[in-house]
Amino acid sequence: MSRTDLIRILCASCALFLMPAYAQQKFADYPVHAADSYAVKAENTGLVIGAQPVEDPKEQKVYFDTELIPRGFIPVFIVIENRSKEDSFLFDKSAITCGPDEAGISHLEVRSKAERPAVAGLSLLAPAGGFIVMAKVNSASHVQQNILKKELQSKTLSPLASGHGFLYIPAPKNGPRPKIHLRIPVTKLSAEKPETFVLDLVF
Amino acid sequence: MTRTRLFFLASVLLCTITLPAFVMAQDQTTPPADTKPAADAQSPDTKPADTKPMTDTKPADAKLPIKAALVLTPEFCATKIKPKGSALTKEWGTFEVGKAACEQLEPALKEAFFSLSRVAAPPAAQEAQLVLLPRIVDVNATTAMGAFSNREMVVVLEWTAKDPAGNTVWLETVQGSAKHHMGNLFTFKKNQVLIVTDSVKDAAVQSASKMSSSPELRKLTQ
Repeated sequence: MSRTDLIRILCASCALFLMPAYAQQKFADYPVHAADSYAVKAENTGLVIGAQPVEDPKEQKVYFDTELIPRGFIPVFIVIENRSKEDSFLFDKSAITCGPDEAGISHLEVRSKAERPAVAGLSLLAPAGGFIVMAKVNSASHVQQNILKKELQSKTLSPLASGHGFLYIPAPKNGPRPKIHLRIPVTKLSAEKPETFVLDLVF
Repeated sequence: MTRTRLFFLASVLLCTITLPAFVMAQDQTTPPADTKPAADAQSPDTKPADTKPMTDTKPADAKLPIKAALVLTPEFCATKIKPKGSALTKEWGTFEVGKAACEQLEPALKEAFFSLSRVAAPPAAQEAQLVLLPRIVDVNATTAMGAFSNREMVVVLEWTAKDPAGNTVWLETVQGSAKHHMGNLFTFKKNQVLIVTDSVKDAAVQSASKMSSSPELRKLTQ
């Protein structure tokens, strides 16, 4: 056996040893802060929402191990806090709308799900959820899994409860992006009739 | 090169292959109760640095004295999710999540309610105080390099609870997860069923815990 064969065997051994470690790599979690500490925020009746678009490719590499902008998405980290000691709120991810920001968008009251996409020319965000992002990110399965795990999901915000996660917003792959308008309808639970209001975020 | 040296190199190679498999076999998921929920698997440094951490879940309380109806439609029970990935990396078969959910959800939720009935369609207003509607949001599984390598599955399950008037009173999403060996050509299908079942079982247990600790559902009993 030559020295070359010896090196080959050693390389194969190293590769076999390192492969499972690579497959089980951990992803960094995005740091969470108070919702009102973010530059982009909105508040209504004790519910505070803060948003942080993660547009730096280096940061995307750290938290997702892939770049999402070339795939047509911007990951936006959202923190929702219910600061009320009595009221509960319903956060329904499927009702979120987004689109390019236009001057003079009025704060229209959301009445029904069917009406929502038509409001201010925005489109429902739901079709661009983790499912679609994962399909476009044709990377290793653990990268796709991480995208799903980090996604913000629908939930009830009990008094003093909070939630956080990423929303994957469609955006142009190249060139400067227009300002994005995100409308987040939230329902306040009450004994008589649930009341829905909208929180607007522009970034 | 001598025969001794060849044997030595061969044994080094063999050890390298078998050791990781052995270590990962130790890490194999056994009962789903031991499976750490994916949602809770975050490191401590993700907690709000400048705020008092707000609790999302409390330990499961006593059974809710509510007459609940669990709606498991035939369409829901037939839900199958195709594995994601490119043509080269995508795994075979489909994840029969609906079938597993229709087997696992009812027994798990019986731990959260005094009375729980399984129905195939939303019942009339007077028949239940609370109507529970599950929806499978997404499913994803990692792939592993070898038959003995562990891979993880995550099942995202969304719950909508409605009162007799049809108003949504509670909305929650749980992430059930489990880890199992990928398996070889002969055990792959069996392992695929096992990982789906355990992930759904984990999601069901988490759902029951979140329901029984929900202040919104507890309010309905007052």
